[in-house]
Amino acid sequence: MSKFKLTRRDFLKASGASLFLAGLPIPGYTQDKPPGTISVIILEGGMDGLTAIPPFGDPNLMSMRKAITPENFLKLNSFFGLHPSFNFFSGLMAKNNAAVVHATNFPYVLRSHFEGQNLMQGGGTAPFSETTGWLGRSLDLAKTPGRALSLDMPLILRGHNEVDNFFPASIKSSSKLKDNLIDMITRSHANESAASFGKLKKKVGMEVKNMPRDPASLAVYAGKEMAKENGPLASVIKVDRFDTHANQGADENGNHGAQLTIVDDILKGYKEGLGDAWDRSIILTLTEFGRTAFANGTNGTDHGYGSAGLLAGGMINQSKIIAQWPGLAKRDLFEERDLMSTIDYRSVCAACIEKALGLNHDIIADKVFYTPKLPRVYDYIFS
Amino acid sequence: MNEQFRVAHKLGLMFRPETPLPDDVKSWAISQLHSKSPALGFMLVSRGTNTPIQEWPRELQPSLNERVQMWRTFWINEDLARAKKDGQDSASKQNENRKNLWGERDELKFVHRNIYGEDQLRLRFMAFWINHFTTGNIFDNINTIGHAMDTVVLANLNSSFSDMLYKSTTHPSMLTYLDNIWSSGENSAEARDARKNGFQAGLNDNLGRELLELHSVSPSAKYTEKDIRNAANVLAGWGIELKRTDEWMRSQGADISDYSNLYKKRWAEPGVKNVMGKVINQGKGGLRELTDFLASHDHTIKHLSTKLAQHFVSDNPSKSDIIYIENAWKKSNGNLNQIHTAVIERAILSKEPKFQWPMTWLFQTLRLSGATFVHGWDDLNQDRSIFKRLMRVDKIFVELGQSFWSARQPDGYSSDKAEWISGEMFERRIRFSEAIYKAGRPQYNTIQIMDRIGAGAPTRKLVDGFRNEKEKFIALMCSPELMGLENV
Repeated sequence: MSKFKLTRRDFLKASGASLFLAGLPIPGYTQDKPPGTISVIILEGGMDGLTAIPPFGDPNLMSMRKAITPENFLKLNSFFGLHPSFNFFSGLMAKNNAAVVHATNFPYVLRSHFEGQNLMQGGGTAPFSETTGWLGRSLDLAKTPGRALSLDMPLILRGHNEVDNFFPASIKSSSKLKDNLIDMITRSHANESAASFGKLKKKVGMEVKNMPRDPASLAVYAGKEMAKENGPLASVIKVDRFDTHANQGADENGNHGAQLTIVDDILKGYKEGLGDAWDRSIILTLTEFGRTAFANGTNGTDHGYGSAGLLAGGMINQSKIIAQWPGLAKRDLFEERDLMSTIDYRSVCAACIEKALGLNHDIIADKVFYTPKLPRVYDYIFS
Repeated sequence: MNEQFRVAHKLGLMFRPETPLPDDVKSWAISQLHSKSPALGFMLVSRGTNTPIQEWPRELQPSLNERVQMWRTFWINEDLARAKKDGQDSASKQNENRKNLWGERDELKFVHRNIYGEDQLRLRFMAFWINHFTTGNIFDNINTIGHAMDTVVLANLNSSFSDMLYKSTTHPSMLTYLDNIWSSGENSAEARDARKNGFQAGLNDNLGRELLELHSVSPSAKYTEKDIRNAANVLAGWGIELKRTDEWMRSQGADISDYSNLYKKRWAEPGVKNVMGKVINQGKGGLRELTDFLASHDHTIKHLSTKLAQHFVSDNPSKSDIIYIENAWKKSNGNLNQIHTAVIERAILSKEPKFQWPMTWLFQTLRLSGATFVHGWDDLNQDRSIFKRLMRVDKIFVELGQSFWSARQPDGYSSDKAEWISGEMFERRIRFSEAIYKAGRPQYNTIQIMDRIGAGAPTRKLVDGFRNEKEKFIALMCSPELMGLENV
C-alpha cells in the first residue's frame, strides 16, 4: 500500500492489539469494582468514524473517500489507522490507556441530528421518549454526583438531583452572589427552578474569575474537580461542528480534523487535571451517528449510521481496537450508503458505567437503557 | 400581574414606562400584528445625553447588494493581509476591514428594536420565526443573518407561511448555512463536467433534509431518504458562495440582478422529481412548488401549531390549544395574521405561566426598568470608554447563552423550559439583574415597577424581604412571576 505514508509511528502497531468480535457477546455478571470516574465527550453533528479511525486495510476506503481521508494517519495495526489530529490519543494507545470501538452506534438509523442526539443522551428506546439521561440515571443508581461543563444542562445528565453544571460567568458589573439573596429567591420558586437556584449557593465559594472556557481548559477543571476526595464522579463536555457536509478536509488542517484536535486536547486536559486520579478514570466519546461512507458531491459527508467511539483513561490497561468489521463494499453498507453498526454503543456505555460506577451490568441494561438483553462488552474493553 | 402585563409578558416584551396601557388588551394585542417596525434606538449613550432616533440612518441599513459587496471587499483585504500587501496586515487596516462585517451592527439593531420598539408582539413573533428558520453563524453568512431577519421574517409576518418558507429557503443566509451553495444535481451539467475532469461534484443533502425535518413536515411525516435526496435535487442550483465575482456567477447561468434570488442553471438537476408523492417540475420554479406543497401539508400544520403553542401559550399546551391554532391555519390557508391571532387568543385564554427565553427576559427587564444597558450605534466608533461600564451586545448574548448570531445547530433554541433550567443559566439571571441595576441605572424603582405591573403578593413578599434597592431589583427580576414560572 505504497500510497499511504506509514512511516512515522509504526510503534503503535505493537501496542494496539486489535480484537475482532466473532459474535455478539454474552451477558454476564461482575463483582462490584471500586468506583472510578466516568466522563463523556459529546460530539455533536456526527463524527465521521471513517475519517477519525480510517480502516485503511479495507480495499474500498480510498475509492469512496480519497479527498477526505488523511494520508498521514498513524497506523494502529494492519487494518486501522488513527487520524493525525489524535496526537495525544496515540500516546495513550501506546501506553495501553486507550481503546477504539469501530462500526458502532446507538440503534438509530433515521439520520436526524436532533432525534439522534436525543436518543444518545436519553438512552431510551426511541427518540424523545425520555426526560432524563442515561448518565443521570446511572448516577442516581450509584447515588453519586456529576457535573456538566456547559451553560445548559444536557439531557444525558438529567435524572439525578445532585448533578450540577458549571460554566463560569463573565458579566461586567456583577459581583459575588450573597447566600441570603440566593436563599430567598430559591424559597420563592417551586420544583426544578427552586432546585436550580438552590445549587447556586455551592458555587459562591468557587473561584471563577477569568477562567478560560475553551474545551481543553474545561477538561482540566473537570479533571481537577473529579480528582478531589468528594468531587463529582462524572462529567460531560460537548463539542459541536462535526456536521461537515461540505469541504470536510482530510488531515489535521481540515474542518473535521480541527474538531478531532479539540477532542485530543480535551483528553490531554483531562489527563492533566485528573493527575493521579487518571488511574481510576474512564472517558468515552459519544456521537449521534457516523457519516456517509461515500464522500458527497461537495467534498463532505452527509448523515450516516455507524461511527467510532474513543475510550481513554487509566481504567483501561490494554489498548485495543474493538470491531466486528462489516466491510465497505456497497452490499455491506447500511442501505448501501453508511457504515453498518455491528456493536451497540449502549453496550460500550454500559461497560464504562459498570467499570467506573461499579454497577451490575444487568441492572444497567434494565434500569438505565431499558433493554434487559443488552449485550455485555465489558470484557472486550477492560480485560 | 395585571392583565395588560400578563399578556405583554407572555406575548410581548412589556410596556415601556412611557407607553400608556391599553384598556382592551386583546384588541391591542391583535392590532400589534400590524404595527410599524422601525429600527428604533439610540445613536450615542456615551456622552451623557442619549440621542434617541426613530429610524436608523440609511447608511446603517445596507441592502443585500451592499452587504455582498462589503463581504467581497472584506475577503479581498484579508487575502492582501495574508500576502502582507498594501499594509493590509497592520492592526489599523485590519480594524478598518472588520467594518465590512455586519454581525455586531445587526445585533445592535436587533437589541435596540427589542428594547425600544413599540411593536413588541411583532418582535416576539419575529424572534419565533427567525429561530424556526435558524441560520447559525458559520461566519460565511455573518453579513446576511440580519438581512434574513428583515426580509424573510419581518417582511412576511403579515403574509402567508408558504411565502415565508419560500423566502427562507431561498435566502443566501440559509443557502450558505446549510451548504446548498455547494450542491449540484447528480446529473447537472456542473456535476457531469466535474466528473469528466476527475473532480468530485454532486449533491449535498443538508438543506433538503432540514427543510423537511425542521422547517416543515417534521419526522412524523415519515418521509424516506429518497424524499430527502429528491428535495435536495430540487434545491440543487440555488445559492452561490457570495465571495464569488459577478462574472463567475453569470458564467454559471445566474441572473445577478437580485442576490436574494441566485440560481445557477448549470448546477440544477434535470427532470421532474418526486417528494413525498408530489411531482415537482424541473427548473427554478420547482422549488416554489415544493415549498408550497410542504407549507400546506398536514404534518407541517401540526408541527408548527404545536411549536407556536409551546412558545407562546404555555409550557404544556393542551390539545385544544394546538387544535385551535391548527384550525385557524387550515381555514386561512396558512395566513400568518390568522395563525398569529389564534395564538394570541389562546395565550390570553390560558392562565398558565410561560417560561421566557433568556433574551426575552433581558429585554423585558430593560423595558420595565427603563435602564440603559446597551450602547448606541455611534458608541461603536466614537467613545470606547463606554465599554468599561457596558458590555458589547455580542458579549451580552454569549453570557446569556442565547444569540441569533452564534454558531449553533439548525434546530434553533428550544421553547421547552427544561432546556433552560440549570444552575448556571439561573446564575446568569441574577448576575444580569445586578449588572443592569449597577451599570444600566434604572429610571424606575422596584415599587414603581411592581405597582405598574400589578405584581402578585408572593412577588411583593419576596422583594419586601430585602432592605437595599439593588437586592430588591435582583429579586424582582428573578421572581417566578417575571421569569414565567410557578410560585411555591
